[in-house]
Amino acid sequence: MDTDLLVVGGGVAGSMAAIPALEAGLQVVICEKGKVLDHCGSIGCGVDHYLTVMDTGPEWDTPEFLIKHVPELTDGIVDMAVAGRVIREMPRIFRKLESLGVDFKDKQTGTYYRLRSFGLPGTYHINFDGTDFKKQIGERVRKGKAAVLMRTMVVQLLTQDNRAYGALAFNFRTGEWYAIRAKAVVLAAGDVNRISKNASGLAFDSWHFPYDTGDAHAMGYRSGALLANMESVEATLTPKGFSCQGLNALVSLGAYFVNQHGERFMFKYDKKGENARRAVIADAAINEYLLGNGPVYLDCRHLPQDMLDRMEATLQVDRYTLPAFYQQKGVNFREELVEISISELSIRRSGVYFRGSGLAVDVNGETSVEGLFAAGDCATVSGGIAGAAVLGHIAGEGTVRRVNETRGALPAVDLAAAGALRAEAEGFLKRTDGTSWRELEDKTRQTVTDYIGVRRTDKGLRLALDTLRALAQREKTLRADDLHGLMRVHESKNIRLNAELMAAASLARKETRTGSAHWRLDYPQTDDENWRKFMIVERGADGPSVRTLSTDRPLADAFARSVQTV
Amino acid sequence: MADAKTHNPIRIDPQTCVRCNLCDWICPGDLIYKEEDNRETLPVIAYPDECWYCGLCQSICPTAAITIVFPEQMVRNETDVVSLLGKVVE
Repeated sequence: MDTDLLVVGGGVAGSMAAIPALEAGLQVVICEKGKVLDHCGSIGCGVDHYLTVMDTGPEWDTPEFLIKHVPELTDGIVDMAVAGRVIREMPRIFRKLESLGVDFKDKQTGTYYRLRSFGLPGTYHINFDGTDFKKQIGERVRKGKAAVLMRTMVVQLLTQDNRAYGALAFNFRTGEWYAIRAKAVVLAAGDVNRISKNASGLAFDSWHFPYDTGDAHAMGYRSGALLANMESVEATLTPKGFSCQGLNALVSLGAYFVNQHGERFMFKYDKKGENARRAVIADAAINEYLLGNGPVYLDCRHLPQDMLDRMEATLQVDRYTLPAFYQQKGVNFREELVEISISELSIRRSGVYFRGSGLAVDVNGETSVEGLFAAGDCATVSGGIAGAAVLGHIAGEGTVRRVNETRGALPAVDLAAAGALRAEAEGFLKRTDGTSWRELEDKTRQTVTDYIGVRRTDKGLRLALDTLRALAQREKTLRADDLHGLMRVHESKNIRLNAELMAAASLARKETRTGSAHWRLDYPQTDDENWRKFMIVERGADGPSVRTLSTDRPLADAFARSVQTV
Repeated sequence: MADAKTHNPIRIDPQTCVRCNLCDWICPGDLIYKEEDNRETLPVIAYPDECWYCGLCQSICPTAAITIVFPEQMVRNETDVVSLLGKVVE
């Protein structure tokens, strides 16, 4: 199959990347593991908040004002060139979303209901009923006549001389394999979940989609792309037993967190209290538990009825089943304390905006591999729905330029690679003994939880790396019970690899930064003099190799290819 | 496939289910399998332990035949949160 643009993942970032390409008249193929064209790829539902600068007049609502605050919002670990472009493009992409039919206005007042949260220096979050947010975006992709391959997992990129020219994929319902050649590829496969344990112990009970398993990170790494900020982990606060979204709505609408003594503890950690950055909120709750002040509770009892109504309505936009959970639990969050747990960890954006963990991109959303773009939760800088929408669109525009510049025929499909991949898959499917993907994943999760997660030491991280490398040896003995299982086998390999990248980067950063996002017990201080640097991970001769780059420079300065500036 | 002891989060009422295939179509985790073009067979929850409890199947079901049931370990969770915060190796 030949196309101009191949998009891996049909969530917000992937769909927003497809739109400018379709508008430019390019042929677009989207591979999607689920059927999420109508839903967000990170949460499968709607959206309840959208972060944007709107340029409505006041200074705080200008891109330059927000850009000025980005270094402190990210504790200095940020690619300012890319973050600056994303923020400057926010008003344009916001207007574009409105033109697609997204209604950001409050239905009762007809105005934008803007709230402050997560330490941002203005009321940048629009709280709205975004049940159909993604439907409008998906509709434009459909109208543009993109070819969408559903239930299809991309497992390997095709690259030659540091240039991407397509990918290999399979449909896990039919077993059909695809070799797709493309002049540009966008990776938009989301974040890394199922990588550590949580309270329920259920691997698929995760804050964000458990079906987003770092496929983009893993495929990019194997093809030589650079990744950054992989040492930073992200956690959130969730009702104990159910890892679900909703923290933004809770804190922006005025909820409190209290410990077992009834103390509203957030002000001990940040002068903004519950309005601190997500990383700070998670870090504070972790500390309270470690200090013996747990359990921690959500407290909404002080809120007026209209605010509670709005909260209740908002919470189920993000997670439709949350009211059913409270009902089965027999808890009324309006009148009672709700016990809170730390969620499982994930690799996403470390609880801060504009840092991002994943494939390093330049100002056009292009990775260090020419023709390979990344956006959404698998890329640096990009984070959250707005980050996905804006960087996705930027990447889509970048692919148009890349496609138009492409001269001559694309390389022939690497038949040896395709044959080896299919033979490996047949091996997984034929095997009746060997290792199940569940076992490989359980061991990865236990290793991350115990030695790479919250409290890190040199010794613990080395132990984790040894364990993960030993686990890699068992990957060739994996078995798949069916085609669905073959998808999970590939996911489990990607999760293990991401854990290894996280451990390698964490070992290299000999300081603590952003609290429990990277907490080294053996280096408990933040050391700006020596470590205001990116940890860049790439494929080395035998495993991940880590190098550093000052955050005074854009990540693109570490790329081997030439970079076009905007 | 999961064994019989695995908690089934997606309960389908055979009396009200119209065997339409929408739950299979929408499930983001590829857990629900419904034989196409056969109005006799019910959807099968093939991989119940891989459910994210998003409720998309419930929300799209045209006859409200689906109920999401959370397991005890989620509803009445007793895990010590500190056990999730890592081992201190010095």
